[in-house]
Amino acid sequence: MRRTKTIAAAVVSLSLLAAACTSATKKATSSSAANNPSGSVSTQPGSTAKASHKQGGTVTIVNVQGQTWSCQFNPFNPAVYAESLGFVYEPLVFVNLLNNAAETPMLASSYTWGPDKKSITFTIRDGVKWSDGQPFSADDVAFTFNLMKRVPATDLYSLWTGAGLQTVTATGNKVLLSFAKPAQPYFWYFADQVGIVPQHIWTTAAVAAHPDTWADANPVGTGPFKVSPCGPNNIQYVANPNYWQAGKPYIQKIVYPGYLDNGPGNRDLAGGKGQWGSQFIPNIKQFYLSKSPDNHTWSPPVTNVEIFPNLDPSHPQTSKLAVRQAISMAIDRNKVSQIGEDGQQPPANQTGIILPTFNMYYDASAVAAAGYDKPNVDKAKSLMASAGYSPSNPLKLTIITITGYTDWDASLAVIKQNLASIGIDLTVQDLAQQTFNSRLYTGDFDLAYYGEPTSGPSPYYELRQILYSKNTAPIGKSASTNYERYINPAVDALFDQYPSADSATQVSLIKQIGQAMLNDVPIIPTTESVDWFQYNTKDIAGWPTPADPYAQPAAFNFPDAGQVLLHLYSKSAQ
Amino acid sequence: MTGLLVDTSGRAVTRRRGSGLTAAIRRSRKAQVGLVILLVFCIVAVVPGLFTSVRHPNALQFTPRLGPSGEHWLGTTSLGQDIWAQLVYGTRQSLVIAVVAGLFATVLSVLVGVTAAYLGGLPDDVLSMITSVFLVIPTFPLIIIFATYAGKSTLIVVLIVLVVTGWSYGANQMRAQMLSLRNREFLESARVRGERRTYIIFAEALPTMTSLIVAIFLGAALYSLLTAAGLQFIGLGDPDSSSWGTMLYWSESQSALQTGMPLWSIAPGLCVALLGVSFALINYAFDEISNPALRPVRRRHVKRARVRNT
Amino acid sequence: MRYVVRRLGFFALTLWVALTLNFFIPRFMPGNPLDALRARTHDRLSPAALEQMLTSYGFKPHQNIFVQYLEYLRNMFTGHWGISIGATLGEPVSTIVWQALPWTLGLVGVTTVLAFLLGSLIGVVAAWRRGGRLDSVLPPVFVVTSALPYFWVGLMLILVFSVWTHGWLPSDFNYDPDLLPEFSLGFIENVLKHAVLPAATILIASIGAWILTMRNNMITTLAEDYVRMGRAKGLSNSRIMTDYAARNAMLPNLSGFAMSLGFVITGSILVEYVFNYPGLGYQLYNAVQNTDYPLMQALFMLFTVAVLVALLVCDFAIAWLDPRVRATGSR
Repeated sequence: MRRTKTIAAAVVSLSLLAAACTSATKKATSSSAANNPSGSVSTQPGSTAKASHKQGGTVTIVNVQGQTWSCQFNPFNPAVYAESLGFVYEPLVFVNLLNNAAETPMLASSYTWGPDKKSITFTIRDGVKWSDGQPFSADDVAFTFNLMKRVPATDLYSLWTGAGLQTVTATGNKVLLSFAKPAQPYFWYFADQVGIVPQHIWTTAAVAAHPDTWADANPVGTGPFKVSPCGPNNIQYVANPNYWQAGKPYIQKIVYPGYLDNGPGNRDLAGGKGQWGSQFIPNIKQFYLSKSPDNHTWSPPVTNVEIFPNLDPSHPQTSKLAVRQAISMAIDRNKVSQIGEDGQQPPANQTGIILPTFNMYYDASAVAAAGYDKPNVDKAKSLMASAGYSPSNPLKLTIITITGYTDWDASLAVIKQNLASIGIDLTVQDLAQQTFNSRLYTGDFDLAYYGEPTSGPSPYYELRQILYSKNTAPIGKSASTNYERYINPAVDALFDQYPSADSATQVSLIKQIGQAMLNDVPIIPTTESVDWFQYNTKDIAGWPTPADPYAQPAAFNFPDAGQVLLHLYSKSAQ
Repeated sequence: MTGLLVDTSGRAVTRRRGSGLTAAIRRSRKAQVGLVILLVFCIVAVVPGLFTSVRHPNALQFTPRLGPSGEHWLGTTSLGQDIWAQLVYGTRQSLVIAVVAGLFATVLSVLVGVTAAYLGGLPDDVLSMITSVFLVIPTFPLIIIFATYAGKSTLIVVLIVLVVTGWSYGANQMRAQMLSLRNREFLESARVRGERRTYIIFAEALPTMTSLIVAIFLGAALYSLLTAAGLQFIGLGDPDSSSWGTMLYWSESQSALQTGMPLWSIAPGLCVALLGVSFALINYAFDEISNPALRPVRRRHVKRARVRNT
Repeated sequence: MRYVVRRLGFFALTLWVALTLNFFIPRFMPGNPLDALRARTHDRLSPAALEQMLTSYGFKPHQNIFVQYLEYLRNMFTGHWGISIGATLGEPVSTIVWQALPWTLGLVGVTTVLAFLLGSLIGVVAAWRRGGRLDSVLPPVFVVTSALPYFWVGLMLILVFSVWTHGWLPSDFNYDPDLLPEFSLGFIENVLKHAVLPAATILIASIGAWILTMRNNMITTLAEDYVRMGRAKGLSNSRIMTDYAARNAMLPNLSGFAMSLGFVITGSILVEYVFNYPGLGYQLYNAVQNTDYPLMQALFMLFTVAVLVALLVCDFAIAWLDPRVRATGSR
């Protein structure tokens, strides 16, 4: 049965055509809460919390794949890297999207930006070993980035092309990355998303020939766990005895079954057989929460699910502002969230700012002033009337969506009803993924229902994908992420200023972009898509909570899953 | 389909050869049960409004996840729709698919089978080969691939796919029957009389094969019903439509069985099963009618001669 | 001999048609592997990187289509089935297939043959005891079961034996995920436990058809003159039943079995879907959902070959049983 979509929300999607040069930067990184303003980071080794629990215990993960495991762990293969990044491979610096980009140094104990943020020097941590016992050094870091240059298929974030990376060199225990242009917005990718691989393994003949397609069945990394063993029905991880954080990980074994379908996965969660869930569970109260007082859920929102209207003049109805405003005002987002997503995805708002994750960028009064704080059917009707439509003379529109995403189908059922009351006759068209993609990319639609699986440490990343004019293309050509064909030079300018602005200015820039969303209604966000997260506290403690969101909590977030595993401990082993 | 209704109510209406069929139907209990079930479904399909007060079964207008009650005989779905109303309105599409696809598949079967048998020689070899190939190629994978790639999962696509994959079985049967008939006297006499080939085929031969054609139709209708339901169940139909298969798709994706709403899954499946059973029963009764040896034997108190082992 | 040659010729022709269909359908439908891969990698890679990835995985989209076709035929026969570009990006198709094959053969294959043999046997006995209690009860019951949709039977069995009993019989998977495959009693027991419900589904849904056709054939055969002759000769009941009647009645049943294998595959795909049994049918469904061309093509070919092989086996069995076929070279 078709699983509902699980969005790898931590997966950042860098625009292919991200050609916009960011102007010279001289700013601090956008971190606030935790330890690191730009530049130096505390050099205290193991600056994550000291080991304070006894080791022991097993955690079972429930994250339905719909396929049996292929037992490949190549960190450059998007189909499998979520099972190796964080568990086995680690990044240079961990950036927490949920806590205003708080940073935790991992393989890099500190870093310094060069002048104009066109270069960055990482000081590599001492005393780290690979899981096969070999010593880890800055050479491995340089090797990893240079590998991505040699084999473009491994450069998943277009660092050498889009971000302008020019050279990566290792000297002693430091690694210098030099860019052709200011590179601060790309920090998230090269410091947090890239897993460092061992040179001594990846230069062997068999691997070096095809590093992008190599199976990497027995991955060697610096991370807290090793794979032992892997079968089609289950991956088992055991603690890495050589791990650089002494006394960690507390958990000694991970069991990660390859569930084929939501049904059995959800049942194991409800019964307590699985403790860490990353599932969409319909009717979660009755099915999961009521089964045990130890069952909890908390799913932080990270990106939007939205209606993409076609703004190209060739689509006269959807390019009318009044029509789009009416649609946004008529949709009862609370009901869409309740019925379409079982209340587990919060309603979105017209600014596209995710709440509560990015609260500080949100201007509630602006939203109320524009009239989008709650549904307003009467105003919507009058807007439609100004465009020449009414319930007796309805506007016929078609919205395309992907077959099998049943929660989106359910949401669209609610939306269809909302729109019928203001004079829009909506037809929902389910398409196979392939067909949907090609129509979305080429602009062959009136309305499309979609949510980009992108996120980043601030709303800048998602909004830039959607609104920046270089990410679009004329009708008939493939647009990379700006499917609605929105072109507004003023908004482009706001995005261009962002990388070089200081934190306060950045917040104000995002608020202005939010205002543009209210004024122009280029897309209509409906719900906020979340990192699905269920957890059982009977034996395992140390979970991320709304009060302490130290990492994104889903098992498919990387490298956050590794952070979660470093915090978990077994109560019975104490 | 309406032909069947007419048959049960008035024998005199049929003027085709083999009208003894209607009398035979009345005698067979199996056929009666099957016809009654079919009749009930037909009535529901034609006037669904008589059976439920809900006018828009797919609208989300009720409280979700209610159990069965006086107001909602089968409860409500997790989106807030009345299950009984969906069942009632879904009858039409399911029945239409079964009958229309079955009809077209039968027509194709008859045409190909009869033509192949009557023409003989090379045309026969070619047509038989085509029929066998279609018979053997596993159709469900083909259907899945076709339905997925056609992009829009509308009714027409499903119907075309069902007809294209469902005609070959019947064609073989028609051909076999036609071959055995080819040399019978009444056809011979028609040939001698100088009648055209098409006349001989359609006016002389076909009427004697009525029971086989009906059997083929029922088989094709059953096949179409089950396959369409299967396709919709795994999500290749139109999720926006109202049919039993779509209800099964939704109930499955909302884990109805495991979250305490089993009726949402049981009811549409039961309806598919019942309609299929009615086709099968009528088909079975036709088998008995056309083959006297199969007619039910009444137990008689006759001593059977003991056969001595030699 | 002529018969054998004819059948083999038919086998080859059908296989060729299926393979050609298999090659052209994806290419005529919307979408292409490049787009599929782009969606799979969430738009992150540059077009150059995507092309390189595709080439690593064996795609040469700019090649002449006829050359592609010949290469495709050659690859199909030599087992070079390529690398999956679906959800299991990078895994060799042959690995996926060989992993799934034993489960489908074991579950679907064994159960189907069992249903056929058991059904034929029951049909023979029911026909023999015409007018008895068995005969008056069985046909209506099995008419009903033969019309039930496979997946609904599966759902009902899950409801009764798994949900209502709180998991007494497992309803998903082929064995418990935390067990390692090995030849131990515990593991085999676990596998069998997981196979009970899916096997029961196939059995219940398919046995009815065999029983009924066999019974009807037997009855028709029993009315034949040569059977009466056998009785007149004074032969024993069992002898008549097996050597005279069953042997002849079996023939149309066997050919019917071969013809309906296509439907059996349909049923198996649905059963594997409902029970999440990772066999070939399940993999095909996933391959289609994830637009995984190489896997789809390999599976479709396998299904066709399986049906054809079974057809061939049945044909030879019929030839062995029925001397008329051998003599005339046709049925």
